[in-house]
Amino acid sequence: MAVTAEDLAPTISLDGVRKARGNLTQARIRWMILALVIGFGAVGGRLVQLGMVETDTTIEGQARDAITATRPPILDRNGLEMAVDIRVPSLFAEPRRIIDVDEAVTKLRTVLPNLDEAWLRNRLSGDRGFVWVQRELTPAIEEQIMRLGIPGIDFITESKRFYPGMNEAAHILGSTNVDNQGISGIERHMDRESIALLQELGLARGNKLTPVELSVDMRVQHVMHDQLLDAMTRYQAIAAAGAIMDIYTGEIIALASLPDFNPNDPASALVKDTFNRVTSGIFEPGSIFKTVTLAGALDAGAVRITDDFDARYGVRFGRYTISDFHGKNRILSLPEVYKYSSNIGTIRIMQAMGKDNFREFLSRMKFDERVEFELPEMRVPSVPKSLSEVGAATASFGHGLSVSPLHMLTAYAAFVNGGNYISPTLYKRSIAEAEPFYERVLQPQTSAYMRYLMRLNAISVGGSGSQMNKLAQGYRVGGKTGTAEKVVDGRYSSSKVTNFFASAFPLDNPRYAMVIMVDEPKAENPQSGTTAGWNAGALTGRVVQRVAPMLGIAPDFGELLDQQIVPPEVRRIFPEGY
Amino acid sequence: MIRRLNFFLIVTSIAMLVGVYMLKFSIEGTASERSAMTAHIAEQESELSTLKADWAVLNQPGYVEPIVRRHQAELAVEQVKQEQFGSFADLPMRPAEPDTSAMDALFQAIDAGIDPIDAILELEGIE
Repeated sequence: MAVTAEDLAPTISLDGVRKARGNLTQARIRWMILALVIGFGAVGGRLVQLGMVETDTTIEGQARDAITATRPPILDRNGLEMAVDIRVPSLFAEPRRIIDVDEAVTKLRTVLPNLDEAWLRNRLSGDRGFVWVQRELTPAIEEQIMRLGIPGIDFITESKRFYPGMNEAAHILGSTNVDNQGISGIERHMDRESIALLQELGLARGNKLTPVELSVDMRVQHVMHDQLLDAMTRYQAIAAAGAIMDIYTGEIIALASLPDFNPNDPASALVKDTFNRVTSGIFEPGSIFKTVTLAGALDAGAVRITDDFDARYGVRFGRYTISDFHGKNRILSLPEVYKYSSNIGTIRIMQAMGKDNFREFLSRMKFDERVEFELPEMRVPSVPKSLSEVGAATASFGHGLSVSPLHMLTAYAAFVNGGNYISPTLYKRSIAEAEPFYERVLQPQTSAYMRYLMRLNAISVGGSGSQMNKLAQGYRVGGKTGTAEKVVDGRYSSSKVTNFFASAFPLDNPRYAMVIMVDEPKAENPQSGTTAGWNAGALTGRVVQRVAPMLGIAPDFGELLDQQIVPPEVRRIFPEGY
Repeated sequence: MIRRLNFFLIVTSIAMLVGVYMLKFSIEGTASERSAMTAHIAEQESELSTLKADWAVLNQPGYVEPIVRRHQAELAVEQVKQEQFGSFADLPMRPAEPDTSAMDALFQAIDAGIDPIDAILELEGIE
């Protein structure tokens, strides 16, 4: 029994009570620890999970940052702002937080009555996190809407581009869209260049961007724009355009084209006919192209400046005869061919050069490619690949080919700057910076001849630039008129013309070249005509009269400066020089 | 002993609790101050941008010219003409300064009774 009792081991059971209790406690502690570990594990895991979550800061597919991204201010060459960023409030809604859509719609429409009710209700209902209601409002409206106290409606400050010059430099600046991206003009070019990259890298935030300095002089630009506007009413033209370029640096000092648009209201750029006529309009240049023909022939040595050309009879090509507009019907010397704008004389000069050499010269002057320029609005000129006899003859006086006024401007700049072709630019640069881009197209001697011929056309009796010179007395301007007849119903019309005046000043030591275009002008009064001298020429004179002092050119009424540029060989035929 | 320790610990923990809460509230206060300041700066920056834009508008030649034209009559201003420009080179040379010391000597001589003209006249035998 005892053995049995011993076998049952009651002492063990006694011992077991403590032990069992101890075991239980230990087990409970273990469970507790496990529970705590699981609990903390859950908390920790959730923390990690929360840390991994990427908060969605995009606004309708765009990073919130991109909306407040800024663009660098654009300054003119004297530091005057041409484009700045302003901060404007934009109204957005969080539909999932709006409690009473109907109330919100009615209240919002008290401040913004132009919003469509159905559209707004549709916009505000639903479970979306972010919707734009209206962008780019004024601080006054922001205040009023905040006062309404609608939940789920708030403002975000956006950067908006503002152009203080309004229409004046519209075609240079272009415009930006509501997301502050450049859509035309230099704004577009800037985006392509660097800003897009900066914004992508997240650097273009805040106001720390270096301003962009343009070559444009706003004062000159204003005068150009003002005078073009004046010309539009004065001559009842359908369009007018003009540009001034520094012949040594290639900087564009002013560039305007009418009709234009207000870059602050980009939609106005969509109106028909507001395209930039200087860069993206191509026209038959008319007689201003004679300068090119003469320069090419003189440079090739095919003709000398003292040569005579028979302009007594028209030039016959099969059934066609090309004759002069104001025919002198006599033998003309080369300076007279230029002065009287003789088509016959110019054809003879081109023929002396040979049509293939002439075509080659056009390529050298880059007339068959786009001008290298910053503005994206450019058109390829239309110049025939090879010229027939007739084609070459008409091309010599600027018909049968179409180029942009910018082509003519760069060509004229090269003619008077000593014979170096320099691509125009809208960014400020010095002569030293421009020199590496020079491309020699004419000998310096030819350039000297061209200066003389252009000045001759302005001051000599019967020259087509005399109207211009009368207005810009003292500033030694010289240039060539061009009256290009427009093609109406397949034939050249004498009533619809595009008029040009290409010029350079001051010709004793030229610095600026200018091209002015007036499209379909009418006579200002019954005494005046519709040829280029009356409108494009006079307009050039008025522009120079106002801008020359701004550009630091002092007037000089003495004859000495004009006499200095007369080539000695010309004195043999015109002893007095002009 | 243990009771004292407990009491001490309770007091410390209450003090710590109060301290931590005070810190929390002060930080919250600072944070809201900071966000208010950021909002204020943003507001002023946007005001500044508008003012700058205003300034740029007022400086535009296209804005100034109509004002000038409007007041042309009262101010008697006119567009500058070529003839109105001049240069330093165009100015005539300054006339030679009068020889003041010689003049003084002459006047003194006359005062002293010696007239240099007399001598010449006598020489010519006019008097």
